[in-house]
Amino acid sequence: MKVWFALAKGVVLESLRRKDLWVVAILGFLMMISAGALGFFGFEGLQAFAKDLAATVLGLFSTVIAVITTARLMPDEIKNRTLYPLLARPIRRLDLLIGKLLGAIFVTWMSFLLLCIATGLALLVFRVQFEPIMAQYVLCKLLGLAVLCSLTFALSTIMTQAAAATVSFIFAFGSSMITRALVMAHESNPRGAGYGFKVLNGVLPQFGLFDLGGRAANMNWGPVPIWVIGSLFAYAIVYSSAMLFISWMKFNRQAI
Amino acid sequence: MQTVDLAVQYRQKNGDKTMAVSGLSLSVAPGEVVGFLGPNGAGKSSTIKCLMGFVEPHAGSASIFGLKAGSISAKRRVGYLPEVALYYPFLTPYETLDLYGKVQGLSGKSLRTEIDNLLEIVGLGAAKKKQNRTLSKGMLQRVGIAQSLLGSPELLMLDEVTSGLDPVGRKELRQLLKERQKAGCTLFFSSHELAEVEMLCDRILLIHKGKLVEERDLGSLKEELRKFSLEFVGHTSMVGLTSELEDFGGNRIRANFTTKALLLEAVDRAKTGGAKIVDIVSEEGSLEDYFIDKIQEAA
Repeated sequence: MKVWFALAKGVVLESLRRKDLWVVAILGFLMMISAGALGFFGFEGLQAFAKDLAATVLGLFSTVIAVITTARLMPDEIKNRTLYPLLARPIRRLDLLIGKLLGAIFVTWMSFLLLCIATGLALLVFRVQFEPIMAQYVLCKLLGLAVLCSLTFALSTIMTQAAAATVSFIFAFGSSMITRALVMAHESNPRGAGYGFKVLNGVLPQFGLFDLGGRAANMNWGPVPIWVIGSLFAYAIVYSSAMLFISWMKFNRQAI
Repeated sequence: MQTVDLAVQYRQKNGDKTMAVSGLSLSVAPGEVVGFLGPNGAGKSSTIKCLMGFVEPHAGSASIFGLKAGSISAKRRVGYLPEVALYYPFLTPYETLDLYGKVQGLSGKSLRTEIDNLLEIVGLGAAKKKQNRTLSKGMLQRVGIAQSLLGSPELLMLDEVTSGLDPVGRKELRQLLKERQKAGCTLFFSSHELAEVEMLCDRILLIHKGKLVEERDLGSLKEELRKFSLEFVGHTSMVGLTSELEDFGGNRIRANFTTKALLLEAVDRAKTGGAKIVDIVSEEGSLEDYFIDKIQEAA
């Protein structure tokens, strides 16, 4: 555990020094200014619109930060040869992978929470009332981002940094569309090849499940049941572990 | 540390296989200082990577302190300096060592004290709070040396140890490594710098195209390479002592010998024969020439 957190701390420190979070802070500031301007010109009664917009912006920026931060971790370690002194220590390669992934998740979560704070302040301008569903939205988004980080991390161990980032973006932004297409393909041919679409749908990450943005934006929706959150939590753990396993399978025997 | 019939093979992107090391058997005893030499692409780094467990051997075996090379128990006792590493550009030398120390299982005040000491020893005390990306190549090499010394390893495996260091840095490094050796540390390092090797090593291993071509005790090799010559005026027979005679005219002759004993015998003969001795020279042979010859022979 100590090893994991030492490695994760290194990733977080590097990200802070790289000023990755500055980008987040600037985006957050711009969001507050924009919201302030809208509020000044009297867009009252647009709470639902403001919440929907905020959820979209949060989803977009946090996804970009998660993918960019995670996709470069292992390729940079190999390119800069910083991997050698690490693996020369008495640790398993799995420890290295866990520590690095944890670091990426922490950085992503920090960025997302910073954006949430900025967005929350911006929403205050529209006199938006905070509801429990918003907290659930944040919690589910954090879980979804962890899944996204683990997917990107696994991809970055088997393909180039750019390819891993591209594929991750496709899955992150096209998840709902891909799922819909696969479900339709399965329904049109429930047996034989159609069954393959169902299996594929089960294997691909379901990022849409973690997005409660639309629900949180709607004024009439209450919080989701706890069992749903619990199931999402379990899904995130299982999926992230599977991605970590794939990374380990590739990296464990890899000559470096 | 030992390798037996070690073979390391890499698969290239086009699917071809390259044998970097083949049939390499070597051993290093505790407390020894061994230089691992060879031209570029000879297989030095591949061998070291195999010993560190970064690469699985294609055939043969490698062990450190009787433990499987690359195993966690073996790595606990080894300090490693990679050939070229940039280290984390946005961390400081202190943070870099802190990270490596914690990954090694060190912690608390003892780790902080050790980091401070090591940074002072390698001359980075004043730069410990500067980010690595602002450091020169030589200073980064010092960071690398410091991290390899964390936890006082029993074996130091250093790949191109003097890379990037200026003459002052090299001298300090020599001093540091000698101190570690006195403390009982085994040193195994690869280098292109024959002068460094000459000043530090007990033994040298020469590798070419993945195969060991020479293994010598450095003391006896230097003795073997030493050249002796006697310059005299007069007629004195050197029969049985040397056939390497240079005639400068006017009875002035220079005779070259392979050992000190032969030189002394020649001096006796010259005196007995009434020759006038002009000069007696004892000079170090060129290690560089020797290695070039050996590599050419192996090629």
